[in-house]
Amino acid sequence: MSRITVPQGSSAALVLIVSSLVWSLLGTGLQLLANAQLLIPLLDRLIAVPWFGYGRLVAASQFLLSFGWLGSGLVGVLLILAPRFSGIAFRYGRLLFGGALLWQLAILGGFTQIMLEGPSGLLGLPQPRFVSVLLLVSFLILGTGLTRGLGRSWKSGPLLPRLYLLLGLLAFPLALGSAEILLRGSSAPGSVQILVQILWHSFSQHLWLAPLGLVLVFQLLPTLTGRAVSSLNLGLLAWVATCLLGGWLGTVRASDGPIPSWMQSAGVVSAILMGVVALGNGLLVQNLNEGRWEEIRRNVALRFISVGAWSYASAYALLAFLSLPWIRPVMAFTVAWSAFFEIFHFLFLGSVLAGAIYALLPVSREMGWPNSSALTWHFWCSVLGATMTASCLLLAGSFQGLALNDPGVPISTLASYLRPFLFVVIFSQAAWLVGQIAFSAVLFSSLLRLFPSAAPMAVFRNPTVVRPASVGHLHG
Amino acid sequence: MKPVRALAIVLGALLLTWLAQVAVGFWQVGRLEPVLNQENNLTEPPVPSGLAHTGARVFAAEGCLECHSLSVRGPAGSADLTRGWGQRRSVARDYLFREPALVGFARIGPDLSNIGARMPETEKLLQHLYDPRLLKKHSTCPSHPWLFLKRPAGPKTEPDAMKVSESGWQQVVPGYQAKALVSYLQSLNANYPLPEAPLK
Repeated sequence: MSRITVPQGSSAALVLIVSSLVWSLLGTGLQLLANAQLLIPLLDRLIAVPWFGYGRLVAASQFLLSFGWLGSGLVGVLLILAPRFSGIAFRYGRLLFGGALLWQLAILGGFTQIMLEGPSGLLGLPQPRFVSVLLLVSFLILGTGLTRGLGRSWKSGPLLPRLYLLLGLLAFPLALGSAEILLRGSSAPGSVQILVQILWHSFSQHLWLAPLGLVLVFQLLPTLTGRAVSSLNLGLLAWVATCLLGGWLGTVRASDGPIPSWMQSAGVVSAILMGVVALGNGLLVQNLNEGRWEEIRRNVALRFISVGAWSYASAYALLAFLSLPWIRPVMAFTVAWSAFFEIFHFLFLGSVLAGAIYALLPVSREMGWPNSSALTWHFWCSVLGATMTASCLLLAGSFQGLALNDPGVPISTLASYLRPFLFVVIFSQAAWLVGQIAFSAVLFSSLLRLFPSAAPMAVFRNPTVVRPASVGHLHG
Repeated sequence: MKPVRALAIVLGALLLTWLAQVAVGFWQVGRLEPVLNQENNLTEPPVPSGLAHTGARVFAAEGCLECHSLSVRGPAGSADLTRGWGQRRSVARDYLFREPALVGFARIGPDLSNIGARMPETEKLLQHLYDPRLLKKHSTCPSHPWLFLKRPAGPKTEPDAMKVSESGWQQVVPGYQAKALVSYLQSLNANYPLPEAPLK
């Protein structure tokens, strides 16, 4: 990775990355509390305060994880990465820093408001309006900075990361702005508001967060493996398909009901096609990683990003499966959808984000990573925790769906079907939290330079390799 | 690929998606009107009261949508009607006057589209909100005691004091938010025919 000193954007990036870690710890903690309440319903009688209610905890944790952890973290690492697309350094660093602080202020405001006053009930928009305005203003500042990464000429440098960055930068403000106007400006009747909520949700997940994650995959994987993407045409086709299909994916969550049936059909077709698109991107990733297994085993950043890229393909394959016409009516309204979001958020975006932080922070901050066992803890706890959570939710969702569609099963017994799975989910989420705590410990120690020996590239401890030689090799 | 072409593709795709879903959606379901029910000479769906409107916001703020949906599916491929959650499937016209328009995508608990018809009694709804275990011993639904006021029991019992087994020197009285929430839940009753969704 070439070293370009970018003091202008690095403070803003650091604020966004460090805050994203804090929000992820808080968000997962709240998620654990909420699941514990579902497992032991009497908990809510013991602490009878509004902010401890199940509904508020779930909404607050989803807000923190989407906007606080992933939104903040992805924009943060992109602030480090973007100047390397074009070689154009940032200007107006203070403005970017202000934008980063504004984003954190919005997250803090939204979190406080959700806990004290409750969520709005709108899909993907639990926060009050002033928070959305702050997020929009902040994103416009940071996004304007990121557009410099797109560069003046596209004749040199990577193309796919730029294309996905362009998509992510345009989708977020368009969707959030129009959703706020139509949902809270009282300009749309209730029947249309449902469509707007679903559209916003699709845009925020599949046209904002997913493309930002793919920017990192298609920029960092070729850099770390030293290979170019094997088929640019396949990559371009996948990008165009993502642009066209991503906005329709939310409509598959609804089954029958108030959404026009042609939109639901379009959603089903889009989801199945997106499964194919994701497999196409997966093929590109596979070609990049082919024969580099030893490097993937050793290099922390590369292993995280590879896992993230494979999880991207798995998430969309699962979405395609859940959308199949004979599966969708059974799985609608079940926790199987949470399994998709678990893979999408924690395994795809979370892993890619962690890998990008490992790869990029030393470039930006002149710091190194220790050869610590905490790195191993981070990887295995994160990956195993999220995988176990997703598997349990998918299995629980299958039982739930079958029970929901069997009128002979009383609805009051539904929770008892979920309880054993919920126990494992809590355990797995706690494991993920342990991994994230290990990551935070390594990150903060490295930023404060508490480790006597550190290398720019994070490597896993390998008992078969003599440690000093390994670190020395990396320094070289 | 030239930057201008990439920009055109992204903007074109985003605007096409937006227009297809919101503009066409507005044209298709945004222009729906309430219909006159010949039997009772009332328009359906009814406009909810101000209290029910406030109750919808309490419903959202308490996060009820994390477990309950507000959308009944038709008989094809679902057991919603057989379960008695409604007499017909939900359609876009049902949501005309709902502000905010809540729909919900989780069913850890039952669908509430017609809870006003299934459980119309105010006392029962209040008891459920105060402590669901009073009505169903093993309910996983969280209680919402903060929506209620506890007042010392005097010589006179408050007219709306609830019948819950508290200690003798206290009475539990529903607060404004609890009353609003109950009013909203009672307003959830779509058991009337619509041209596009006749009763089963």
